[in-house]
Amino acid sequence: MKDQGPMQSGPRRGMLVWALQAISGVLLVAAIALHWFAQHLVVEGGLRDYSQVVSYLREPLVLALETSFLVVVTTHALLGLRAILMDLGPTKRVERLLNLGLGLAGIGAVVYGIELTLELVR
Amino acid sequence: MWFRAEGSVGRWGFMLHRLTGLALSLYLGVHLVLLNQLRAGPGAWDAFVRLMRSPLILALDALLLGAAAFHGFNGLRLTLLGLGWAVRWQKVMLWASVALAVAFTAWFGTRMISG
Repeated sequence: MKDQGPMQSGPRRGMLVWALQAISGVLLVAAIALHWFAQHLVVEGGLRDYSQVVSYLREPLVLALETSFLVVVTTHALLGLRAILMDLGPTKRVERLLNLGLGLAGIGAVVYGIELTLELVR
Repeated sequence: MWFRAEGSVGRWGFMLHRLTGLALSLYLGVHLVLLNQLRAGPGAWDAFVRLMRSPLILALDALLLGAAAFHGFNGLRLTLLGLGWAVRWQKVMLWASVALAVAFTAWFGTRMISG
């Protein structure tokens, strides 16, 4: 298919992406504060040893929170990278490839994180 | 381009937001890869943790924390501005983001290095 010139995602799509970026960002401020508090601030020496990591992740609420944190932080990071790359004015074709590549990277990161976590808590 | 920050203070804030975002995204990738050490069992992970407690790594952690704090506070500022709220306070909020990031870095940095 022939390129349609510089990317024009459309105002509605742009608003949706902006809203998703803003909402995930606000959630992240709370999630990172909680993550830092639980994983570093209250832990002797600032980092959990192996047995502490495993027992921490075996708490169902912790597992749910850390998994949600991974999904939100990955979404926010990849949308941020997308915004920077979109400012370079890619063509429609490049925009589609970018969306596909970042989407796959996000899915890969989340699947990897969940698989690693489940291996540890089993 | 966004990385040309000449001009207003707001553009400097925007540029810093993106630079800290890029650094944090890079860190996220590295962090996820390093967590793979957990698969190697307690010996490998605990040795890795000892390495992570070295002064150089802790100093880098403090810088990372500063970048995360600035990105978080400035992100809230940009969200407010995007909604058209508190526009007249944008410079004050930018400097507040910088001040809070410096304060967080100093506080956490001191805690981390003192153990």
